[in-house]
Amino acid sequence: MTQSGTTPELKRWYPGEGKVTPFRLALYALVMLGLISGAIRLFFGLGATTNLNDAYPWGLWISFDVLAGVALAGGGFTMAATIYIFNLKKFEPLLRPAKISAFLGYLMFVIGLFFDLGQPWRIWHPMIMWNPNSVLFEVAWCVMLYTTVLGIDIFIMALERWQKHDWVKFFRDIYLVLVVAGVILSTLHQSSLGALYLLLPEKMSDLWASRAIGPLFFTSAVIGGMSMIILESIISAWAYKRKPEMDILPSFAKGLGLVLLVYFAMKVTDLYARGATVWSLDAPHLAFYFELFGCVAFPALLLYFHEVRNSQKGLLWAAGIAAFGVVFNRFNVSLTSYGGYRTFSYFPSLVEIIITLSLIAGGILIFDFLTKNLPVYKSELAE
Amino acid sequence: MSKAVLIDTSKCIGCRACQVACKSWNDLPGKSTTFSDTWENPKFLDSHNYTRVLFREISQPGGDLKWQFIKRQCMHCLTPACASACPVGALIRLPEGPVVYNDDKCIGCRYCMMACPFQIPKFEWESAVPLIRKCTFCADRQAMGQEPACTSSCPTDALLFGERDKLLKEAHRRIGAHPGKYYPEVYGERTGGGASMLYLTTASFDNIGINHLGFRTDLGDYPHGLYGREWMSKVPWVALTVGSLAVGLHYLNKRRAQVQSQEHKEE
Repeated sequence: MTQSGTTPELKRWYPGEGKVTPFRLALYALVMLGLISGAIRLFFGLGATTNLNDAYPWGLWISFDVLAGVALAGGGFTMAATIYIFNLKKFEPLLRPAKISAFLGYLMFVIGLFFDLGQPWRIWHPMIMWNPNSVLFEVAWCVMLYTTVLGIDIFIMALERWQKHDWVKFFRDIYLVLVVAGVILSTLHQSSLGALYLLLPEKMSDLWASRAIGPLFFTSAVIGGMSMIILESIISAWAYKRKPEMDILPSFAKGLGLVLLVYFAMKVTDLYARGATVWSLDAPHLAFYFELFGCVAFPALLLYFHEVRNSQKGLLWAAGIAAFGVVFNRFNVSLTSYGGYRTFSYFPSLVEIIITLSLIAGGILIFDFLTKNLPVYKSELAE
Repeated sequence: MSKAVLIDTSKCIGCRACQVACKSWNDLPGKSTTFSDTWENPKFLDSHNYTRVLFREISQPGGDLKWQFIKRQCMHCLTPACASACPVGALIRLPEGPVVYNDDKCIGCRYCMMACPFQIPKFEWESAVPLIRKCTFCADRQAMGQEPACTSSCPTDALLFGERDKLLKEAHRRIGAHPGKYYPEVYGERTGGGASMLYLTTASFDNIGINHLGFRTDLGDYPHGLYGREWMSKVPWVALTVGSLAVGLHYLNKRRAQVQSQEHKEE
């Protein structure tokens, strides 16, 4: 912990704190707009405020807030597994920021889902109304429990901040339970989010309608999580005028490259095993090539080079493309792959877009608040 | 035994009495009609229209055109994908056949709409707190010993209500008795694991051109809802495996690190 003194007040670490920058102002404006849009959505209903319809029951909120958001928040369990299960302690400085962004990712998921549900006030129903046959039932439970685990984790950091040493020790003693629970829950729901689509292969493009979609979703969630950790580390270092962890990021990026390769191999194997049409020049195939070659193989290739791994810009690009690839994959599975099936088209409404953007803006603001007020970075711990 | 409806489309004259009967029994609001390219109305199933008759004109081998009237509604599957999808169990199949929906459980997630291979569940988009709406197979009427509103109103016996196995026998009898008249497969007998709505048609739904309008011909005999159930049956084992691997590896790697640092010190 920090200084052994009894001063509960921690010193302020970051320059420029409390200053109102244009960027910050824009974030606040977005959150305000989001609150207004949310109220409009709740008051007038889904039909009036979104472009969802009977042909497209699920739209931007499911594709981005839920599917992509959870995949990008996969960094929490990935880092916990890296450090506590595979005992790669040198990556420890990346753990706490990863947990914070994971928690925020799930918070966004829950809020996004709240607005997406037709009966938002019944969001708790899966707790007492069970359908063990339903994949979505399992996802609901795992997400509930995992968000609680992440919440406890953030709470432990707050306890450290408040110097409640007894409580911190209590939680540290049972910490392995939290880690194992987090890893189990994440493995289950990250893959089950893909398994939701096992039920509707007839509505999807052959390229994504795979029986192996569960494991594919899990692996790409690891990619999403790892690339977000790299992005977050470098961008927050720039924002807070800190030095990014360039001593460990290159070898972490090597790991990301490896997972990308594994994922590439899984995708290709899956495609050939199912006998899907591999070579064609129609729109779904072009999207598929872009996803697989542009956003999986290409960043893997980039990360192969020593120069890329050891430069901030190189890492930013490689991780950025990989993270984009995961998001693109979620959109392909949930929207574009489904799109060719109906004659109707769907494009999100302004309310849908604003609520999604405001969730991101709110996430950045809370991330900023938490990192400034909780012991998150290495410099604050090692004293 | 479970109830079913045999829909012999060769007998249907497209009068839409079934649509009217459905609306009156379920107390559904009317909607102003619009011109459509085939005279069918309404244009889509939605939360106010649980059934509608599709009108299609297809060319015969001789060059003639012939009308096809195909009634569409919930298929009331024997293994419904919607019931496998619903996270709160709001959709269930009653042993007597109807697949029914519980207003008080639904959270409005719309996964049933995604999962249904026949695209039947519809949402009350115009409402601020919408629910799912679909054909109920008149489960309330059946509970009173009456047949569904649509079958009771059909003037030509194109809709026949009864025991599923008896209706299937009758369907195959008709196919055998009139060689060449019917397409030799009963849609719904095995489609998607079997349904309570059994279609006898004079041509395949591919030929009629409605295989992408709720009458998919590529569904196979395996109910897609079971894919989700199979996945769910593996979940406890995955949890157990991942959990024990995680705990095991944690202690193994910790021990390995201790041994390494010990060796390092001894050197």
